[in-house]
Amino acid sequence: MTTGLTGTDLLALSPFITLTGVILVLMMAIAFARHLGLTCLIAALGLLVTLANILWVAIFVDPQLVTPLIIVDPYALLFSGLIVIASFFICLLAYNYHQQRGGHQEEFTLLLLLATLGGVTLAHSAHFGSFILGLELLGISLYAMISYPTQGLLSLEAALKYLILSGVSSAFILFGIAFLFATTGTLSFAEMADANINPTAVQGGVQGGVQGSVQGSESLRLYMLIGGSMILAGVGFKLSLVPFHMWTPDVYEGAPAPTTAFLATVSKGGIFAVLLRFFVSVDGYQYQTILDGLFWVALLSIFLGNLLAVMQSNIKRLLAYSSIAHLGYLMVAFLAAAEIGGRQLAIEASLVFLIAYFTTTVGAFGVVCIMSRKLAARDTDQLPDYEGLFWNRPLLAAFFAAMLLSLAGIPLTLGFIGKFYIFAVAVDSELWALLVAVIIGSAIGLFYYLRVIFTMTKRSSVTEGIAIPKAGGWSLVAVTLILIGLGVYPAPVIEWVSAIARTIS
Amino acid sequence: MLEYGLFYIAATVALISSLLAITRYNVSHALIYLIVSLLASAVIFYVLGAPFAAALEVLIYAGAIMVLFVFVIMMLNLGATGDVQAHLLLRPRMWLFPALLCLVLFAEIVYVLLSSERLLSGMVVTPKTVGIALFGPWVLAVEIASMLLLAGLVGAYHLGRRYLKDSREGATSSPEAAP
Repeated sequence: MTTGLTGTDLLALSPFITLTGVILVLMMAIAFARHLGLTCLIAALGLLVTLANILWVAIFVDPQLVTPLIIVDPYALLFSGLIVIASFFICLLAYNYHQQRGGHQEEFTLLLLLATLGGVTLAHSAHFGSFILGLELLGISLYAMISYPTQGLLSLEAALKYLILSGVSSAFILFGIAFLFATTGTLSFAEMADANINPTAVQGGVQGGVQGSVQGSESLRLYMLIGGSMILAGVGFKLSLVPFHMWTPDVYEGAPAPTTAFLATVSKGGIFAVLLRFFVSVDGYQYQTILDGLFWVALLSIFLGNLLAVMQSNIKRLLAYSSIAHLGYLMVAFLAAAEIGGRQLAIEASLVFLIAYFTTTVGAFGVVCIMSRKLAARDTDQLPDYEGLFWNRPLLAAFFAAMLLSLAGIPLTLGFIGKFYIFAVAVDSELWALLVAVIIGSAIGLFYYLRVIFTMTKRSSVTEGIAIPKAGGWSLVAVTLILIGLGVYPAPVIEWVSAIARTIS
Repeated sequence: MLEYGLFYIAATVALISSLLAITRYNVSHALIYLIVSLLASAVIFYVLGAPFAAALEVLIYAGAIMVLFVFVIMMLNLGATGDVQAHLLLRPRMWLFPALLCLVLFAEIVYVLLSSERLLSGMVVTPKTVGIALFGPWVLAVEIASMLLLAGLVGAYHLGRRYLKDSREGATSSPEAAP
C-alpha cells in the first residue's frame, strides 16, 4: 500500500494535474500582471485543455482506483466533464460580469478554478478522505466567491449564512463518518460495502430467531443508520433539500450572479455524484428508515420549492426555490434506484436530469449575469427590471425564455428529456405518490416560469441600453444550442449516459 | 481497564469544557474553555497511542487558538476597556475552574509518563508512520489539502483587502448600498 504513484496512475490523474497546473499558472499570471481579460483567457483555455484531457482519459485509460482516495471511472469522468464545462461557461460570463466593476476582480477566476478542482475531486472520490477534502475545497472557495463583490452588504450577509450553515453541515457529515468508521473500521467506500454486507446476511436471521449473535450486528446496523442519516442531513444542507433549505434563497440572492450559477450547478452536482456513488456502492438502500426519510424530503422539496417560488418577485430567489424543487425531482430518481431491477434506469435518469439541470441553470443565471453588468448595490434581479426585454433585446429574452421553458419541462428542450426520465423512473419503480408530486409541481412551475416570460413581453423602456457582451453572449448562444440541440436529438447523450449507468449499477 | 479509566477522565474533561465553551457569554471565557477542550482531546489522542497527533493538537489547535485570541485582542484595540477586561480576566473566579480541569489532565499525563507498565492502548502511531502514510496512499490528500489552503489564502487576502478599500471609499459606496 505504501508504493508511490506509478506512470498509469499519473495518466489517470492527468485531469487533476492539468487543472492544478492551470491554477498555478493563473496564480503566477495574476501575481505578475493584473489583467482581467488575460486571467479569464488563461482560465477558459485551461478549462478547455482539462476537458480535452478528461475526454482523453475517458477513451484511453482503463477505469482504476488511484490510491485508495481517487477513482477514475466513466461515471466520475462524466461528472468532472460536466463540472468543467459548466465552469468554462461561468468563467466567460464572470468575465463580462466583472468587466465594468473595476477593482481587483482577477482572484474570482482563481477561486472559480479552485472550486472546480474541489468539484472534480468530489466526482472522483471513492473514500471519505477525498470526499471531505473536495467538499471543503469547494466550500472554502465558495465562501470567498459569495462575498466577493464590492456591492454592499447583501453578499457579506449571504456569505456569512453560507459559512455558518455549511460549517454546521460539514460537522454533521464528519460526525456521521465517525459513526460509520466506528462500525466498519474503514473510510473507503468499497471496503465499507464489504463490511456492510455481513449485517444484512445476519439481518435475515433475525426472523429465524438467532438472537444471541444478532445482538451485536443489530447495534452495528443502528450505528450505520445513525451515521448514514447524519451524512444525509449534511448533504441535504449542501443540496438544499427541504428541511435544510433555509439558506438557499438568501445566499442565491446575495451572491454575485456568476457565483450563484456555480453554486447551483457545480456544488450540487459534485455532491450528488458522491452521494449516489456512496449509496450504490455501500447499498444504503437496504435501510428502509433512510428511504422513508428521503421520500418525505423529496416530496416536501417538490411542493415547498414550487409553492414558495410562486410568491417571488426576485428572479434569483425564484430560481433558488425552483432549484430546490428540481433537486426534489432528482431525489425521486435517487429513490427509484432503491430497487435493484430499476437501478440502472434510475441512475441513467439522474445523470440525464443533471445534465439538463446544469445546462439550464448556467443559461438562466448567465442571462442574469449579462443583465447585471452595471456596478450597483445589487444585481439586476427584480422582476420589473426585465420588463420589455423581448422588445428591446429580443435575442437575450429568447435565450432566457428557452431556459425558463426548459426548467418548466417543455418539449424540444433538454429540460423535457430530464423530466420525462423522472416520470419514467417514477412509473418504473411505482413511486406513485412522488409521481403525483412531480406532476403537480411541474404544473405550479409552469405558472411562475411563464410569469417571468410574460413580464419580458410587457412594453417598457426599462431594459433599453442593455448591451450584450461578446464572451457572455456567445456562451449563452452555445448553452442555448446545447439545450435545444440535445432536446431535439438526445439519442447520442442518452446512449452514452446509459453505458455509464451500466458500469456503476 | 486502566486505560479506559484514563480515556474516560479525559473525555469527561473534554465534554465539560466544550459545553462550557459554547454556553459562556464572554468570548474570552469561551476561548479558554475551548483551549482546555483541545488539550483534553490531545490527552485522549496520547492515551489512544497517537503521541504525534497529540503534539499536533497542542501545537496547532491550542497554540493557534491562543495566538488568534491574542491577535483579536490586539486588533480590536480596546484601549481602556481592554485593560478593564484584562483585570476582570485575572480574577480567580475566571481562571480557577479551567485551571482545575487542566490540572486533572496534567495529573493524568504525569501518571502515564511515570508509570512503568505500558498504559497506552492500541497500536502506537509514531511520526514516521504518519509520514509514510502521508507520502504513500494519502499523497493525493496532501496535494488537495495544499490547494484547499491556497483557496483559503486567496479568499482571505481578497476579502481583507476589500475591507480596507471600502473603509477608504466608504463615503462613495455606502449611499448606493443603502436602498
